[in-house]
Amino acid sequence: MKLTNGFDISSSALTAQRFRMDVIASNIANADTTRARLVDGRWVPYQRKMVRLEAVQSAPFSQILAKELKGSTGEGVRVTQVIEDPAPFKQVYNPNHPDADENGYVQMPNVDILKEMVDLMAATRSYEANVTALNATKAMIAKALEIGK
Amino acid sequence: MQLWNNASIKLMEQTLDAATFRQKVIANNVANADTPYFKRSNVVFEELLAKELTKKSIQGYRTDPRHIPIGSAAQIEPQAVTDESTIMNNNLNNVDIDYEMALMAKNQLRYNVVVQQLGHELKMYRTALNGGR
Repeated sequence: MKLTNGFDISSSALTAQRFRMDVIASNIANADTTRARLVDGRWVPYQRKMVRLEAVQSAPFSQILAKELKGSTGEGVRVTQVIEDPAPFKQVYNPNHPDADENGYVQMPNVDILKEMVDLMAATRSYEANVTALNATKAMIAKALEIGK
Repeated sequence: MQLWNNASIKLMEQTLDAATFRQKVIANNVANADTPYFKRSNVVFEELLAKELTKKSIQGYRTDPRHIPIGSAAQIEPQAVTDESTIMNNNLNNVDIDYEMALMAKNQLRYNVVVQQLGHELKMYRTALNGGR
């Protein structure tokens, strides 16, 4: 029986959660960035980014084969896309800002620090859960080596 | 050899296989705790095993190992069953991380128990081989 597959499953989730944390860090770092992209000669503020997670399914053939041989499990998770939050930018009145429009308003990124912190905590907890799962799998393999000792 | 085809060792092997399989399934559930539309899977084994062990049915007497077994235990396989009926999260995911972690701890303990038991069984053989010394 292929035991090490449990490693692959948990580590795929570790990768995905770490990537999610990177994206959140980028959002927090750019919470005040008013010049992220130049569109038609005008600066557009940073747009909040989110990850899309998807369960990894094995290829149809190997899935059917595994099902015939023995029950098959999924194969972890992966990030398939980084999507931008379509929410409108925040308007802040700050006439002295170099990027203020003629009415004195500055477009600020649509990043909500509170939301990012909550997401960061969720990602951290998820990461920890997967580390625990990985350690459990490792402990099982280590225990199997004790058979017959 | 009759010695190694011991029913209890075979049974323990199967239980270990099932625990390994369950560990993989739980790891997959935990990995997909944040995946939208993901549905968790459960492993059914102990129920099947209990049913098989307590079964009182006619069994065909085999005079040759190549005969097809009638009514007797075919290999019991652990089965992954996907739970499609519940919703835990707004994104239709139904992984309850606390439940999964508890299940994993339980599974690991069960695995350790069986490994220990298997080790004990083998130790008894060793004792016999050493002539009780």
